[in-house]
Amino acid sequence: MRSRVFTLGKNLLIFALSLAILSVAVFYVARLAPGDPLASYYGSRVEKLTPEARFAAEERLGLHDPIIVQYFKWLRGALRGDFGISFQYKRPVVEVIGGRIGNTLALGGIGFALTFALALLLGVFCAGHEDTFLDKLICKVGTVTGCIPEFWLSLVLILIFDIYLGLLPGSGAYSVGKADDLGDRAAHLLLPLAVVVLGHLWYYAYMIRNRMLEEIRADYVLLAKSVGLPDRKILFRHCLRNCMPTYLSIMAISVPHIIGGTYIVETVFSYPGVGTLSYESARYQDYNMLMVLTLLTGAVVILCNLVAQTVNARIDPRGRAAETEVTADVR
Amino acid sequence: MSEILQVKNLSVSFFTPHGEVEAVRDVTFSLQSGEVLAVVGESGCGKTALCKSIMKLLPDTARIKSGSIAVCGADITDYTDRDMRKLRGRLYSMILQNPMTALDPTVPVGRQVAEAVLVHHPRMDKEAVRRRVLELMTLVGLDNAQARCQQYPHSLSGGMLQRCVLAIALAGEPQILFADEPTTALDVTVQAQILDLLREIQQRLGTATVLVTHDFGVVARAADRVAVMYAGRIVEIGTAEDIFYDPRHPYTVGLLRSLPYFAAPGEPLYTVPGMPPTMIDPPPGDAFAPRNVYALEIDYQEAPPMFQISDTHFAAAWLLDPRAPRVDLRAGGVRRG
Repeated sequence: MRSRVFTLGKNLLIFALSLAILSVAVFYVARLAPGDPLASYYGSRVEKLTPEARFAAEERLGLHDPIIVQYFKWLRGALRGDFGISFQYKRPVVEVIGGRIGNTLALGGIGFALTFALALLLGVFCAGHEDTFLDKLICKVGTVTGCIPEFWLSLVLILIFDIYLGLLPGSGAYSVGKADDLGDRAAHLLLPLAVVVLGHLWYYAYMIRNRMLEEIRADYVLLAKSVGLPDRKILFRHCLRNCMPTYLSIMAISVPHIIGGTYIVETVFSYPGVGTLSYESARYQDYNMLMVLTLLTGAVVILCNLVAQTVNARIDPRGRAAETEVTADVR
Repeated sequence: MSEILQVKNLSVSFFTPHGEVEAVRDVTFSLQSGEVLAVVGESGCGKTALCKSIMKLLPDTARIKSGSIAVCGADITDYTDRDMRKLRGRLYSMILQNPMTALDPTVPVGRQVAEAVLVHHPRMDKEAVRRRVLELMTLVGLDNAQARCQQYPHSLSGGMLQRCVLAIALAGEPQILFADEPTTALDVTVQAQILDLLREIQQRLGTATVLVTHDFGVVARAADRVAVMYAGRIVEIGTAEDIFYDPRHPYTVGLLRSLPYFAAPGEPLYTVPGMPPTMIDPPPGDAFAPRNVYALEIDYQEAPPMFQISDTHFAAAWLLDPRAPRVDLRAGGVRRG
């Protein structure tokens, strides 16, 4: 019990410390990068500003303070829940993100869950049927599909399913006036979802397939076979279980990659998500927006890794603390 | 004693991208219930392939080309994997060379033994399984079995792990146990313990054992009969006494001579000259001929048949033909120094 509290405390500390370091790094680097933060605030009008007006605007946004002072000002606000306004949208950052994060979570979250499950399914199937016709077919299809750029696949899908067949909508998150219609939202989700899943699926499926093959060739499988354990049982109870730590670790790292990295998909499908915001905030020096999005991504990465670590320790005893063994060894 | 395993003219090949590897060639032998047969030979001479083909655990690239395998009188040569699964564990099982990799690293050893028990008694209740597991663990000499069951493979030593592997292999009370170099990965004191254990269990349960090894020390300690393999063939087979005191095949003699025991102090150890042939398209005749100082002309042309020396002792060497010149084959006999 004491050790569990200790572990929790340790993880919280790691979490807070990582976020603090991340925030300093992003804050500093963003301000060092070339570009004009006023451009995102004033748009094209920035070129017509008089030097005095420009100076006043920069003063108002607090851009003249030393970076360290700016950071602590930001930090003081952030700790009270005030993350500042977005230069581009001129509204509180949290509000802008809040309006879009639901869409991103729907697209990325479902996309991630599907990728996770399908990759596992395909990988295990292919490993179990190594070198059969189906295995070869799936691997070939996967290689080809995995090589197609997302933007091209998106365009082709829009062309086929929206323009030619008229079956599925090809842009936006919902039809005009149907914001509360779940069915309509789901229909809008299908094409972007297909692109997200098809784009990521194969890499992870291959990984599972190769890890599984490694396990299948292990000695313990031979021993299990030699005493008559059915292949299916060996495959699922032992091989798959032993693949999971690797898979979970990789998936934990790729959570933000799949959920948040949908900039291209969002752009082609005009889907209002956070991916576009991340890209623009970095591109146009929207400092406050950039900070929140980066910290959000960072928090997700760290959290997912902690979850993966905890689950892995449950599966694989070798990573666990030695204390359990001591008790087992007492005669 | 009854014959429980009979292998006749068995040939097994692996089909690789480089060609057909003739791993086992025309092997004939039989196994009596309750005896320990040691299969001895250099690496790559087909010892493991022979065992795996009898258990039908060969990879997909391998095929039994000819010959037959009969277990308790039933011909299992054409059995499918599904048929075999009913035999494995109950009729025969095996223990592997490296106990560190032979167990699933993420499952407590007790549960792994229980799994093997449940294969043969799927409806056994929990308490009975637990008792059977403890019984097996005690049988293989694991002290404090109760606590050991909870432990994971990484916290046990090599010797303990090999005992666990043995417990798993014995769960189905097999009649034949294949032990594929069971002591090679262990250190010397543990080797002796495991060999004694194998011997003890074989005597107590009457399990026939096929002991694959390249260590004559192991053979001397554990085997009733010995089969010497070279290039996929059995070149000499007989009782342990036959092989140790009256070896007839020049290869057997070479192997015995190379034991450090027979070396004179200060002299280099004897080695059999040359290298074993590659088993892709092996040479005709006796594959050992190029390494044999007594090789005859016919050795290069025709494979020698098995010559019977006594009721139990057979060897495949042309030197045993009545027409062949007499040569004095001695392993070294008297220890000098």
